[in-house]
Amino acid sequence: MEQHKSRLVYTIGMLTLFLCGAILFLIGFFPASYSFAEDQSTVPDDQPTTLHGVKLTPPPPAYDSFILFLIDALREDFPDATSMPVAYSRACEKLTLHVDIPTVTMPRLKSITTGTLSNFIDIVLNVGHSEQLQDSLLHRLNQRNKVATFAGDHTWLRLFPSKFTRHAENQDSFYVNDFYEGDRNVTKTMESELEQSDWSLLILHYLGLDHIGHVEGNASPRVPLKLKEMDEAVQKILDHKNFPNYFLMMTGDHGMADGGGHGGNTPAETLVPLYLYSNNCSKATSGTKRYNQIDLAPTLSVLMSVEIPTLSIGCLIPEMLQSLSLEHQLYAYFYNAHHLLNKARVKFGHDRVHRSDYYTWYQNATLLHKKLLDTSKDSGGGGASHVYQVQAKLNYMRVAREISGLLSESLVKFDYGFITLGLALTTAASLHIVISVLYLDLTEQLQLDSLKAGQLLVSVVAAVLLNVSSHALDIILTSSLLQSILLIVPIAIAVYLSIDVAQALLRIALPPLYTRRLKISIPLPIPLLACFVIRTLTLGSSSFIEFEYKTWYYLGNTLILLTAFRTLRRRITKTNVELDGRHLYTIASTCLWQMRKVFVMLMLLTLMRYIHRLQAIRSTIMIFSLLLLWARLHRHSQLPQSVASGAALCMVYCFRGLNGQVHFFDVPPYIAAKLMVPTLVVFWCCLALVLVLGYRAALPQTQSFGDLPPKSVLLQLLQTNLTSSLLLVALLQKVQNILLLPMLLVALQQTYKLCDVFGTSARKFSVRLVHVYKIIMTIFLARMFFFFQGNSNSLSTIDLTPGYIGQTSYNPVIVGLFVTLNTFSAEIHAFLYLVVHTLRSDLRSVGIMQLQPPYSIAADSLIAPLYAALIMLPAAFYLCLMVGFRYHLFIYSVFSPKVLYDCYTVLVFYLVFLVTSLYFKLFKHDA
Amino acid sequence: MVSRFDQQKTKHQLFHVSLSLATILICMTYMQYRRNWAHLGSFWDSLVVPIVFLGELLKVVLARFYGRVEDGVLTVKQRQKKAAYFTPRELLGGFTLQFLCTLLYAFICIILGAPVLGNYEQTFVLALLMTLLTVSPTVFLLGGGGALQVCFCEKPDFVTKCEDTALNLFKYNALGGILGAWAGSVVAPLDWGRDWQAYPIPNVIGALLGSALGNIYACTHVLYATARVYMTKKRT
Repeated sequence: MEQHKSRLVYTIGMLTLFLCGAILFLIGFFPASYSFAEDQSTVPDDQPTTLHGVKLTPPPPAYDSFILFLIDALREDFPDATSMPVAYSRACEKLTLHVDIPTVTMPRLKSITTGTLSNFIDIVLNVGHSEQLQDSLLHRLNQRNKVATFAGDHTWLRLFPSKFTRHAENQDSFYVNDFYEGDRNVTKTMESELEQSDWSLLILHYLGLDHIGHVEGNASPRVPLKLKEMDEAVQKILDHKNFPNYFLMMTGDHGMADGGGHGGNTPAETLVPLYLYSNNCSKATSGTKRYNQIDLAPTLSVLMSVEIPTLSIGCLIPEMLQSLSLEHQLYAYFYNAHHLLNKARVKFGHDRVHRSDYYTWYQNATLLHKKLLDTSKDSGGGGASHVYQVQAKLNYMRVAREISGLLSESLVKFDYGFITLGLALTTAASLHIVISVLYLDLTEQLQLDSLKAGQLLVSVVAAVLLNVSSHALDIILTSSLLQSILLIVPIAIAVYLSIDVAQALLRIALPPLYTRRLKISIPLPIPLLACFVIRTLTLGSSSFIEFEYKTWYYLGNTLILLTAFRTLRRRITKTNVELDGRHLYTIASTCLWQMRKVFVMLMLLTLMRYIHRLQAIRSTIMIFSLLLLWARLHRHSQLPQSVASGAALCMVYCFRGLNGQVHFFDVPPYIAAKLMVPTLVVFWCCLALVLVLGYRAALPQTQSFGDLPPKSVLLQLLQTNLTSSLLLVALLQKVQNILLLPMLLVALQQTYKLCDVFGTSARKFSVRLVHVYKIIMTIFLARMFFFFQGNSNSLSTIDLTPGYIGQTSYNPVIVGLFVTLNTFSAEIHAFLYLVVHTLRSDLRSVGIMQLQPPYSIAADSLIAPLYAALIMLPAAFYLCLMVGFRYHLFIYSVFSPKVLYDCYTVLVFYLVFLVTSLYFKLFKHDA
Repeated sequence: MVSRFDQQKTKHQLFHVSLSLATILICMTYMQYRRNWAHLGSFWDSLVVPIVFLGELLKVVLARFYGRVEDGVLTVKQRQKKAAYFTPRELLGGFTLQFLCTLLYAFICIILGAPVLGNYEQTFVLALLMTLLTVSPTVFLLGGGGALQVCFCEKPDFVTKCEDTALNLFKYNALGGILGAWAGSVVAPLDWGRDWQAYPIPNVIGALLGSALGNIYACTHVLYATARVYMTKKRT
């Protein structure tokens, strides 16, 4: 007795719960701010004025004017003697700064100004979040009524809305197609600021280099030109006559990965240069010393003679202090050590600090320092005092480094209440859906899909109790009462689902309660299961996550190969037995020839790995792939629709041609720039035409489609959706990646054919076996194509360019949509194709006639829940692993980006799924 | 069908398994002697392929040796088959089959991630080793046509009892070898930076270890069957 009711609603519910759980987990795992946890007010933030009873006076500012020349994405090897001759040759000091992850702008600016490490989740908040900082270098400057002015990236103003006396910001910093305009404005502002001399800090933030990197990569010919432009700007400052006593720092906020993006933790992204310029510099030590980016904030504070920001946990950079007198230097080291020691006291408690090594070092240093102050008061000093000085300085530096290291390690705070809740919800939801899919025919018996009032009541009561008790025990900390009350809902659901899962597991594990053992309703072929389990287990290793594509290529190809060979063997054996052993050679070669397409597809899949190397012949490839894509789309659409889609694809080629990325008629640049917009408009019109032509079928009174059965209306609509989304992605994808779109369709089609043949050649035919094979193959192929495209588990490979195609300004919704569509195109289209294929296919083509109930009905009863379960299960497993690895060395560099990718993949799937099931709801009922 | 230690079949099985294990042990000793494993991928420098070849040949000789007692009771088909063993047609067929199999294995290696442009020698050696572990013994025993029939037929009638015993054991050997070579790739993405992680060393070693494991599995089967017979006899 097979049930075939739709499980779309159930699946959507489970996916929603999973996503809620994932969000709770992320909130707990990456608390939005570190400062919640510790009470900052207990750290004294004044400059110390006494040392063991000796009076100290804070030194005056070391320079009159400070200039922070920030070049976005300036990586360490960019400035050199040829690319930036002036900046390179006139620098007093050339240092290297180590930048913490995440290497995106907003967290980095926070680090530069506050001197604290940033939270990993800041990478998400980087876009469109407006958090104002409570305390920073600029706040301190403001308190002293000093003037700070600014030009450049808009992000600064979101962090410090009222701290700049004058500012000239770029209006849309995220509009990456702007290479020159913004920078020119910054330079203009700089020139006018240089004429005035009221400011003590000028911040210049140039974005052009970062934008060039995002759009054209780090090897773009525009990069040297841009560096030259920066060099000229530096020269303008250096040669300006107004400033006898300036201090100029040229640095980058983060580096640039080899592809041109950033966000990961490769050395190219985490190392940036720091060049220092001042009038009275002594050309000192060559050789690159490496400091941390967080060291900038305390060093600048002591140079400007303001208080060190409370959050700062950096050390001082000795090379920047060289212009200070020895006494002042010593004061600076003392101040920073004092500040860090106070922070350590708050963090670790007095007792632990007093027992530690660094406390004795600190005591030694202060005693020496006091002795020095005494002697300098009495007499002029001498040889002994110099030794004291060096010793005191070394001790202070040692203390600072030690405490800084300890503090940055201990910054990590997990909110275990939310983590547990999130894990419970995700795990319960995914186990629930897995059990309900595996025992598809027995869900009534296991009581999985009915809502039980008694159980609900019990779980609500349990949730209230749990919530109250965990609040009482301070396991869950929330900022308002409403939030605490709202938390009851997820807890109740988690408890309810857990009871369900536990009951079902008990029933499965204890068959004596029933007359016979519960049988799994879905066949689970061992090879598929093995590959899936291996893929899930490899999530536990950081190198397997870094090279995840290798796992997918290997396992995916293995699965296809294995299925192909098993089919081949079954076919040959069958014919051979029928023919009684004669003509074996002929049979074998015939069967092999029949399977040729599969092997050709495998070879093409192998070649796809090298697609990024095919830059040289991309015009040819583009024409070829557009033709192939059109041929694919033409197969299942009527003539008018194909004409429209063909025109759209032509427009895609024209657009790329006008951009200069492929061969095209020689058009002068100004005409090309004018033609760009009309081309895109025509493209969108064609796309709209395709949609309209496809949706005609949904109108009830049309004649041409009136005779179609209702099921094909649904099919027609989904097919149209697939077509138009493919057309759109063809516009967004990189030129050589367009080939992947038709290849994905070809590969999926061949694989499905293979699965059909494999299923029918089995001794006992089972429709579900074929479905399971198709679903798992789809998942594997989708992931393979995801990685073919150049994606990885590092955030630096996200390609931002497609978000700006045809855009003249930064629109977060459109950019987000386009970038998502481009990045996850393989997964979205693979799923859509699977649904369309299931609706379209009937097994008559492979010789199966009597299928009751029809084959295509499985789309919503089996395929959707199983696909969702297979997406959710590894993600839930990975969340559990994250908790186990929370103190792992690579937790933020390797594991955390992956968890964002995983959760986002589920979200993308959820949205696609939601839209698809909406169509099912609307158009299936009349089937 | 009972099996005892003193029975011809059991003796044959045990000898066969020990021969396989000895081959792999010799390979391991050789690798230990050479210390540096980088040569495992080269054709002329490595002795692994010849050692495995000799081992497989010896197994076939063993099967022939135990098969001589059955000579009197062969069917017509079996006798025909035996007579045709050394004809040029059969030899050529066998050679072609092995050659095609090597090509097939090389194809699979490339599909599963071996470099497409380059490392051909390594791929060839790996493919050759896989052929030797999987297809060659059957071809040596039955000739090319016979091997194909065995592969694509439920139970060909020209196979003698003794050959059947050997074929069963070859199956374990082959399956173990394939799975081992497949699983050997697991070390490839790891960031340990060892020189033995280079292709195809883990796969070659995996194939050898896998076939050893397959043989050990077969051996336990045989021993278990014998022990059961022994126990029941003792009880009665």
